[in-house]
Amino acid sequence: MKKNSKMMLALASVILVISLIAWGYQLGNGLAVTNMRNPFSWGLYIATFAFFVGIAAGGLIVSSSVYLFNIEKLKPFTRIASLSAFASTLGAGAMILPDMGRVDRVFNVFLHPNWRSPLVWDVIVISTYLVLTFLSVYVQLLPDWKRDGTGFLNGWTKSRTQEQVDALAKKWSRRISIVGLPVAILIHTVTALIFATQASRSWWNTAVLPPDFISVAVASGTALVLVISLAAVGRERFSEYQGAFRNLALIVAGALVVHFFLVSVDLLVHWWWGKPEGLEVLSLVFGKYGPLYATEILLPAFTMFYFFSKRGSSSFNSLVGGSALLFIGVFAHRLMLMFPSFNAIPLSLSLPGMGIENWAYPIATGQLKEGMPVFASSWSYAPSLIEYAVALLPFGLILFVVSYALSAYKFAPQKR
Amino acid sequence: MRLGMVIDLDRCIGCRSCAVACKAHNAQPPGTWWNRVFTPGSEEHQVAVGTNGHLQMNFLPVSCQMCDNAPCEKVCPAGATYTDERGVVLVDYERCIGCRYCIAACPYGVRQFNWEDPHQAKERVGYQEGYEYGYPGDYRDQDGRLVYTPNRPLGVVEKCTFCVQYTSKGEQPACVRACPSKARIFGDLDDPDSEVSRLIQERQAFRLKEELGTSPKVFYLPPTKPSR
Repeated sequence: MKKNSKMMLALASVILVISLIAWGYQLGNGLAVTNMRNPFSWGLYIATFAFFVGIAAGGLIVSSSVYLFNIEKLKPFTRIASLSAFASTLGAGAMILPDMGRVDRVFNVFLHPNWRSPLVWDVIVISTYLVLTFLSVYVQLLPDWKRDGTGFLNGWTKSRTQEQVDALAKKWSRRISIVGLPVAILIHTVTALIFATQASRSWWNTAVLPPDFISVAVASGTALVLVISLAAVGRERFSEYQGAFRNLALIVAGALVVHFFLVSVDLLVHWWWGKPEGLEVLSLVFGKYGPLYATEILLPAFTMFYFFSKRGSSSFNSLVGGSALLFIGVFAHRLMLMFPSFNAIPLSLSLPGMGIENWAYPIATGQLKEGMPVFASSWSYAPSLIEYAVALLPFGLILFVVSYALSAYKFAPQKR
Repeated sequence: MRLGMVIDLDRCIGCRSCAVACKAHNAQPPGTWWNRVFTPGSEEHQVAVGTNGHLQMNFLPVSCQMCDNAPCEKVCPAGATYTDERGVVLVDYERCIGCRYCIAACPYGVRQFNWEDPHQAKERVGYQEGYEYGYPGDYRDQDGRLVYTPNRPLGVVEKCTFCVQYTSKGEQPACVRACPSKARIFGDLDDPDSEVSRLIQERQAFRLKEELGTSPKVFYLPPTKPSR
């Protein structure tokens, strides 16, 4: 194992330990250690979950497009793409657990599933995607494992020849990619539907949300594949794969065009009719949360233009930089799913003749504490230190899985 | 049988007795309120609102609206929230996984989460030691599901049950009994001769957020007091 990957593994372990300790503390003291309360009941955890579901897409989208659309240039990167998809899905799934008030009872979702709940369907599609991405990585590694006599769960390949295993891996990679593409699209559709079905929250309640989740997922997922591939290839061999990298950058930029189109339509529809609820949400988006919203819009917009340009899409640094800005923007986008929504209280009333529009009916906060209101009609949520620490869980997990896999097996394109 | 409630806003004096009775009878932990009363339009309760000297002060009690088309029940991944045979929306404290999807879904802000352990919370807040309030026994429905307990588990969601521990025995909910101005009327909406059905037919009853189509079983009779 190289020194570099050892350091990454050590770093990942430290992050994991910190988050697990924080989670343990939260288990002992309840979710009161977060800054969520009844008026603002989903926060950093759900936003982080949505972020990782988003970047989990790219993986299979890249490998599938190699097979479905014959983009041969991307072929050397299908392994890394699948690995990043598997790791991100694992991270997303792990992030959900600390958000549960009773993680000891999550099995109730399997014992007594309510088929009308989008959450049940999300569990199903994300689990399916996790299995598919794992299998995708597994079959692509099988020929190497056979050749080198390494790997796991591969005893059954002993009785087969190398050629047979090669052919088998090729056939099944293709099959998994073909099944995987609709599942990849489903994980964003269903995750978006968790929010989009809720007519009580106007910021979420739009049919634009699922397609927008898909466009953001294609952009950020592909950017993740791009970054991991760049790291795997290194600066020395960058020019060798420049064409493929440029293709990935164009996929990112193209998906962002669709995203910004959907965002504009959504904003227009919220604003045009002039409903007090719609205008209230917009005043939160552009007022109180203006700086965060600017982050969400401006950083990805910059990446979009940059990646369309020759300069932005043809150097190692510009590709890494553009992707990093995009990740920050997409994370802000996920946070912005929560902030305006929870601060626009659904039960709001207008009093005819009294000049009162959209008066928010206060909600009991759920904790009696010095300096904290008993009832609140808005909640200035910012994650607590414990919340930040717990939310490191998927980051640690992903870093661990990716750096372990990169050091143990061959994911980088082979020298030609 | 479809249990429902009518609240006469003409009679409500905003005293919050219902909220207090509800909290005490149902052993609600500190900071948790199943039932609230506010003065619409006003930042402070019991403060009039209006413009140009035309002032008005009405009160609006809000607890679970017992929707026929309940979003909280539909989103619950584990079926912990359900509607019983009398039309009452209940939460199974032993099945809830604490995902809080129902809190996000509810348009009325009535759902409450146990962010901290209720026992520790009472201690921390400084409630008198040994002071226990609320109906003392557990209540399980006919399938054995725990829908009321004075010892609420950490990390689960709770809300108004129409006082299931009382109304299952034919008694009235605590808020109805506690109201000094008899503003709350409780009964069977399926029975056309019940007082609730009669009031809904005869008066201009309205429901909160009707436009969302949640079809609540809590009806309000509008205040007729003129502004002054």
